[in-house]
Parts: sequence; C-alpha cells; structure tokens
Amino acid sequence: MTVQSPPNQALQPELDRRPTRIAFSQKLGKWDVKLSPYLYISPFFILFAITGLFPLLYTGYISVHEWHTLGGKGAFVGLDNFTAVLDQATFWKALRNTFSIFLLSSVPQVIAAIIIAAILNANIRAKTFWRMGVLLPYVVAPIAVGLIFSRIFGDQFGLVNALLDGIGLDPVRWHSDAFASHFAIATMVNFRWTGYNTLIFLAAMQAIPGELYEAAIIDGAGRIRQFFSITIPQLRATIMFVVITSTIGGLQIFDEARAFDAQGRGGGDKQWMTLTMYIQDLGWGNQLNFGRAAAVAWLLFLVIIAIGIVNFLITSRISTAGTKTPKTSKKAKKVKL
Amino acid sequence: MATPISSLPVIAQTSGKGAAKWAARRAEKAAGANRRPGWVTYLLLGIVIAISAFPLYYVILLASSDQVTISQTVIPGLLPQGNFWNNVQTVLNGPYPIGKAFMNSLIIAVLQSVSVVVFSTLAGYSFAKLRFRGRGPLLVFVIATMAVPTQLAVVPLFIVMTKLNLNNTIAAVIIPGMVTAFGVFWMTQYLENALPYELIEAARVDGASMIRTFWNVAIPAARPAAAMLALFTFIGSWVNYFWPFIILSAQNPTLPMVTKLLQSGYHTDYSLIMAGVAISTAPLLVLFFLAGRQLVAGIMQGAVKG
Amino acid sequence: MIRSTRTRRGAAALAGASVIALALGACSSSGDTPNEGSGTTNPDEKITLTVATFNNFGYTDELLAEYTALHPNITVKQNVAALSDDARLNLTTKMAAGGEGLADIEAIEIDWMPELEIVKDKFADLASDKVAGRWLDWKEAQGKTSDGKLIGYGTDIGPEAICYRADLFKEAGLPSDRKEVAELLGGADATWDKYYEVGKQFVANSDSAWFDSAGAIWQGVVGQIAEPYENRADGSAKDLATNTEIKAAYDKIVEVSAELSGNFDQWSDDWAAAFQNNGFATMLCPAWMTGPIESNSGGVTGWDVADVFPGGGGNWGGSFLTVPNTGKNVEAAKELAAWLTAPEQQVKAFNNAGTFPSQIEALASEDLKASTNEFFSNAPVGEIFANRAAAVDAANLPFKGPNYFKINNAITNALKRVDVEKTDDAKTSWDKAISEFNDLGLM
Repeated sequence: MTVQSPPNQALQPELDRRPTRIAFSQKLGKWDVKLSPYLYISPFFILFAITGLFPLLYTGYISVHEWHTLGGKGAFVGLDNFTAVLDQATFWKALRNTFSIFLLSSVPQVIAAIIIAAILNANIRAKTFWRMGVLLPYVVAPIAVGLIFSRIFGDQFGLVNALLDGIGLDPVRWHSDAFASHFAIATMVNFRWTGYNTLIFLAAMQAIPGELYEAAIIDGAGRIRQFFSITIPQLRATIMFVVITSTIGGLQIFDEARAFDAQGRGGGDKQWMTLTMYIQDLGWGNQLNFGRAAAVAWLLFLVIIAIGIVNFLITSRISTAGTKTPKTSKKAKKVKL
Repeated sequence: MATPISSLPVIAQTSGKGAAKWAARRAEKAAGANRRPGWVTYLLLGIVIAISAFPLYYVILLASSDQVTISQTVIPGLLPQGNFWNNVQTVLNGPYPIGKAFMNSLIIAVLQSVSVVVFSTLAGYSFAKLRFRGRGPLLVFVIATMAVPTQLAVVPLFIVMTKLNLNNTIAAVIIPGMVTAFGVFWMTQYLENALPYELIEAARVDGASMIRTFWNVAIPAARPAAAMLALFTFIGSWVNYFWPFIILSAQNPTLPMVTKLLQSGYHTDYSLIMAGVAISTAPLLVLFFLAGRQLVAGIMQGAVKG
Repeated sequence: MIRSTRTRRGAAALAGASVIALALGACSSSGDTPNEGSGTTNPDEKITLTVATFNNFGYTDELLAEYTALHPNITVKQNVAALSDDARLNLTTKMAAGGEGLADIEAIEIDWMPELEIVKDKFADLASDKVAGRWLDWKEAQGKTSDGKLIGYGTDIGPEAICYRADLFKEAGLPSDRKEVAELLGGADATWDKYYEVGKQFVANSDSAWFDSAGAIWQGVVGQIAEPYENRADGSAKDLATNTEIKAAYDKIVEVSAELSGNFDQWSDDWAAAFQNNGFATMLCPAWMTGPIESNSGGVTGWDVADVFPGGGGNWGGSFLTVPNTGKNVEAAKELAAWLTAPEQQVKAFNNAGTFPSQIEALASEDLKASTNEFFSNAPVGEIFANRAAAVDAANLPFKGPNYFKINNAITNALKRVDVEKTDDAKTSWDKAISEFNDLGLM
C-alpha cells in the first residue's frame, strides 16, 4: 500500500492548510485522496438514509394529511394541522414549558460541569475513582432515579417539604406551581447529565497543551486566572459542542417530565407539559391525531434548528472574544511585571 | 483557525516516545499541578460523588429490604439490611429470561459501541482534517439530524425494520444505533483540536495512503475521545428501553425490558424490583472498574498527543 | 465523478424508496382478508401462537402448557408488557405501521377498547355459538363494535365495592362491621348522596379524609351515566358547554370534595404515602384495587370490604382478548382465545393472579365464592365482588365511543386542578375544560 502511494506532498491541498503545488500525481493516489473523505463519512449517511431520513420525510408527509394514528391516512389538508396546533393554547404553553425547563437545566449544567471538570483536572489522588464517580447517575436505571426524586418532590409527604416544614417554612407546591415543577424536573435532568458533560469537558481539558499553563505560571497567573485565561478559551470547540448537543437534547426533554406524575400528561393545567410530551399526547394519547403530532414534531424540529443557529452565533462570538484573552492578558501581565 | 499547536508531537517525532512522555509529565507539573490540591477540593469532590452515588446506594438499600418496610419508610435504614441475596435469588429464579436478556444486552451494547466508535472516528477525522467539497454543509446536516424528535420516528422505523424482515431480532435494535450524529460531531470536535496537521502531513510525506494515515495517526490521537464515546455508547445502549420494547418480545428481551417486567410481575414490591435493577446495573459497574483505568490512562495519553 | 449529480441521484433514489415503502405500508394495512393457512385445516401442522398480555393475566406457563397438551401441534408463547400503557403503545405503534408484528392474540383493556372502533376491520369476528351467553351481558356488549361485531372475548372485570378502614370508622364512632357498613351506606339502595352524608359525619369526628381523590369519585359517578359525552345512537360527541348532566355531576363532586377529599392524585407518591398516614378512610374499590391497597399499606391493619356501592353497581376496568386479522393462524388463534376465556381457565387465572372473572359460570364457581382475603380482615372477597358484578346494571353503563377518553380527560384534568393542585376554583377550571374540549375539534 505504502509503496504504491505517491511519496510526497502531492496530497497537501487536501489538508486544511495552505494549498500547495501538485508536483505530480498518480491516479490511484489521487482517487484515494478524493474519495476517502466521502468513504469515511458514508456509513453515517447510509445509515441515516435508512433510519433517519425516511422517518423525517414520512413525518412530513403525515403532517400535511388528516391522519388518525390507528385509522391511517385521510385527506390531504395542506398546512391545516400546523395552523390548528398553532391556534391551540396548549402548543404555546408546551413551548413555554420546554424553554423554561431547558434554561433551568442546561445553563447550570454546563457551568457545573466545567467547574467539576476543572477540579478533576487537578492533580488529585485516586483519579479513576473520582472520574468514574461523576458518571454514576448516568448508569443507574431511570426508574430508581424517578423513585427517589418523586419522594423528594412530593407535595404532601415529600422530603423537601418535610424539611421546610421542620424549619417553619411553607411547603412548595411542586406539582401545582409551574415554575416549581420546572425546577424539579430540571433538577432531575441536571442530576443525570452533569457528570456526562463533566467528562466531556475533562477530556478536552486534558488535551490543552501544558506549556500554555507553564507560560502563564511564569507570568505569575493564579489558578483562577489560568482557568479564565487559558482553560475556558481553549475549551472553545468543546463548549460549542456541549451547548449544541445539550440544546438539542434539552429541547426534547421527555422522560423526566413524563415521570413527574403518575399520568405523564404534564399536570392538570399542562403546567409542565413539554413539546415532546405534547407530540406523544397528540399521537399516542387519547387523541390519536397523528397528523397534528407530526406537525408539532416538525415545528419542534424547526425551533431546535433556529435555537441551534442562535446558539452557534452567540457561542462562537463569545469564544472568539475569549481566544484573544490569553494574548492580551499575557501582555498586560508583562507590562505590569 | 487557531489550532493549538503543541510541541509535544514534534518531540515525539524527533526524540521518540520516551522524551515526549517526559515532556508531558513536565508539562503537567507546570500546569500548576506540582502540588496536590488541598482538602477543600476533596470536600467538594466528596459532595459531588455522594450526590452522584446516592441513587445507586438507594437501590442497594431498597434491594436489601422488604416490601413492608419500604412502604412504611422512605429510607429503610441508613445501612443495607440482610435481604439482598434473598431478593437477588428470587429475581434470578423468577420466570424471566434474565440470561438471554443479559446476552442480548451485551451483544447489542458491544456491537454498537465498537461500530459507533469506528464509524464516528472515521467520519470525525474526515470532517475535522480532510478537505472535500460539501464538507461544511454536510457537517451541519449531521448535527441537524440530532434535532429530529424521536417520538415520531418510531412508526416509520418500525415499517423499515418490518420490510427488512428484522422484526424481533436484535439486529433491528443494533442497526439504528450503529453510528450516531452525536458520535460524529464529538469526534470531529475532538480531532480538530487534538490532532495536529503536522502529524498527518508527516505521514503523507512518508507515503502512507489515506487509510494508513488514518490508522497510524488519527486513531492514536483519537483514543481518549474514542474511549469515552465507547463508554457513553455502551451505557446508553445498556439502559435503552423504548425501541427494544417495541421491536423485540418478552421471550427475546433486553435487560431493561426484564427490569420493567419485574415492575408488573412483583406488583409494587420495590425490594424485588430494585434487586432486579441492581442485577442489571452490576455489569456496568464491572465495566466501570475495568474501563475506568483505561479511560483515565487514555485521557492522559491524549495529553501527550495533544 | 461529479459529486453534485451523485448526491442528487442518490436523493432521488431515496425519495423513490420511501414512496415505495409508503405504498407498501398502505397496502399491508388494508389486508383484512383472512390469510393463507388460517384455520386448523391441517391439524398436524406445527404452529406457534403468541398471546400479548400486560400486567398479570394469570396465564402461567403451566396453564398455557395445558393447551399444548390438548393440541399437540400448537405451542403458545406469551408476550407480556409491564403495564397496560406499554401494551397500548405497542399495539398502537404496530397498528400505525400497518398491523405487522402484532401477536396472534392481543389483550386489550376496556379503556382503549373504544379506540379500536376505527380499525374494527383489522380484528377477526369472534362470534360463535360456542361462546354465546358465556359472559355477563354488559361485559359481552363491551366487547362488541358499534355495529355489533364481537371483537373481544372478555377476561376479567372490575366490579366495584367500597373498601374502608374499619379502625378509622370505629374511632370516628361509626359502625365498623362490613355488614353494618354496607347498611350504613344504604345497602341495596345506596346513593352518592348517602355516601357523602356519611362522609360528613365521619370527617366531623376524624382527622382523616373520607375518600382519596375527586378523580376517583368521578370515575365511579361517570361510570353510571348512560351517555356521558357521546350519543349512543350515532356516536357523535355532545358539546361539553351545554352538557348539563356532566356539569351537574362535576359541580357536585367539586362541592363535596372541599370537605371530604384527601386531595390526592391517584397513583402518585403522595397517594401511596397516604396509606401509611391514615390519609383517607374509604375508596371506591374495583376487585383489582385490593392489590394496590395491600401493597401500599405495609404494616397497616384495618382494611375491609363492604358489599355496597353508591348508585347500585359499577364496573371499573377489565380486559378482552382480540384476534388481529393480520395473523397467520387466525382460526387457531380464535380457538385459543375462546379456550383461555372459558370459565374453567378464568377461575384458574383468578387463583393465579386475582383477575376477577367475567363469565357467568365462573362467577358461580365454588372456588371463587370460597375465596377470602386475609389482608382485608378475611373478607369473603369472592362472594362480595360476585354480588357486586351482579349488581351492575347494563343499561346504566356509560356508552364509550371513540371520543370518550379524550373528553373524560378534560374533566379529570379540571377536577385535578381544583382538588389536587388547587390552582383553580370550580368555575375557572370548568372553563378551561371547555376550551380543552374545543381544542379537540369535535364540534
């Protein structure tokens, strides 16, 4: 293999950097270079075509028809399903709840994950133990977690309210008050996913070259300073990754919210019904209105894409601003020194 | 694009691995790690771990108790009681195909983890380091696919699997999870930073083919991220309930399906249900124990490569 | 190779493939003609029948093996889902995908039986002389579609009695013996008003509530309204805004709940914990409810069952066995379903899992009548619930059309807002129910 390949820089243009001259080319090598990237990404796209694209198109097809989940396709109705759900207060309430729970979960989660990762990144004893420990909530079956949290957030006999009662405070109406229910659900989400994101950040922190810190220490930067001037800017790509994936996951919150009461329909006033629960309720609940469920699924898809774009713009601005910090701070330090 | 370029790979290239390792160790020390952190750090970590481990401990507490005690108190004693092995025995001897479920879960989780890691690393390397037409849009497309709500995909997916004649086979569980957008995105982001272009160029200059370059250069650099991706995928696959429940049957189940069945079989006897949860979680803890060291070592290697 | 055309061609091919798949899906969904191999034409042909059930139907491996002993060519496998919700989700998904992958026999709970009206063609007609008159008439009626086609063989029922805490009754100065309690609540002429009236006496002398939840009482009350939300004649929905019968029932329950309800949401953790905290003294009690009460009441003594129910008789829950047309062995499956729901097997199932039989003959069996429940102060539950089943008035059972549960949900949500969550008063909560009803687009 190696022997047949061209022995030189002919392939450099294919690398992301400086396009250079093509000295000479050998056909095989050229094809290798041209096709390999596509070959490498093809498994994802082939699989997606089978298991992802068809469902997506099918859902689109359903959404423009009158479609009973059991009874099947009815008449073509254009965008009627979309206008029907957009007209319903439930849709907007579900959208509000989704955003509220999403904000209450993803923001604290990302911040906590970075901090815990920074601690784990220090030269601590028994690294394996601590690192594996934070992932435990991800391992334990949701039923156990659900059982615990439902006992913690019970209205009449819950743990938190018992404690509040003990110190003479009013109980929190976990299931009645919209915000309280969002907080409780977000807590469950945070519990499950913080450790997961911690390890993602930790891996990225481990990849930060040591000499950056070396230089900072020589400059006299303390730990906090190092964290903000080196660690955070260097985590740019990872923060973007975590923010995007947790946005996508966060806007699809389902399990925790569904498990929050026995019926799983978001409470008497739909005060914690999320969009994915709304989809489930429309399509598989008593309504069995597959057409409207598909319409909401598409709306949710568009919302996620829109938020993803906004996220991307904000995050990339922050982190581009961030990358400049080490240089400027270094200069500032030097001047001071 | 400000790719952080470390001198370490260059050291590895020019002075051999030993030198690189030494440099890495020195770098780590320089990272303010020359002194061990104080007790505050351990206290914070201790709190985090205590919170993280509590549900698992709670499972053990309930699994070692009995129905009457559990219905009376929220926490049946702070220490496990003596019923654990009895309850485990009861569940294992119950009418549930736990052995088969274990094998199914194991096969599915192993194959999915291996396949996700291989395909995601390939695709991630391609997206991060190779130049080809349509790269940007295709990557965005990959990420966008994560935004497809899963609820509605079930019916069409079921149609697809039925047409492929894969109903009630574990293949129908494995195939949709063989490569994930998350994995591709993750490897792309990681390799972007962790794999310097110099290494690829060097390999190409030496005349390595594309796949050989991938094998010799990208794989080692990707190892820490790959180890984590494997762990995440394995766990995710191990606890996945919904799709296997739809496509498989009670005679050919996965472990979460059996755990769920325990809930109806033993009504609300949480001591037995939790014994079942403990049984299905135990293999993951073994994996943690075995993979944990590897993973930490892997992350450290990442520091060398990066 | 020019990449752009390649991707375009690929996309076209994919689009084509999905259209084909759609067409296939559509085709398979209309396949309601009996398939080849139906019937037991060849008695030696080895076949396997699957029975999809949920929870615990009492169909043990031994029971299923008995069938194989009678029919050596048939093996029976049971596919159990944990909860009825899971089973419904499974059935719905497979139906939505065209009906493939369904078991030969699918168990259906009464709560989602009305939904199947729209796909009644996908189920085999089960009527036969062999099973005629096997069930209580109202149970048999529930297994039929609007045009009278029998698609479900009845398994169990949930005849309702009143479960109560004898110890709390005694403390409050009320009679506590189960016969006296039945009389106290009105005996054969028991009414809801009487039930509430005794409740008021009780709460005046006790710290516990009278019943657990307004939603539970609603279940009992609406279960005696003949046409609650839809017209029996044509299945059309009634406008909730002008449905005075429902509005009156709602108002009454909201009014008494203020005084009598424990304000629990059934099946919530608070509700479960309330069993340990003397949260309430009585419950509307279908036969199967004795299980959950016992498992939530570890260490609590004093539960008993009174042979009485306000407004006469009532039924809550129960299931059916259906045979989807898509199976390969429809005739053999029918035969098995008939066998499983025969009185002898249902008495065995009752002994295995406590599922209360719906067959007239089974209800009269000595085995059933002799059964007592130790936890419920040794009450003769077999006899009591058999009496309660006989007290159910078929004419009073609610008509449940395809929209029954959609509309009922709106009402139970409304009650939940007032009784449990306390976010609304009777009026605002009712208004929300009406707007929820309007969102359904039935009018």
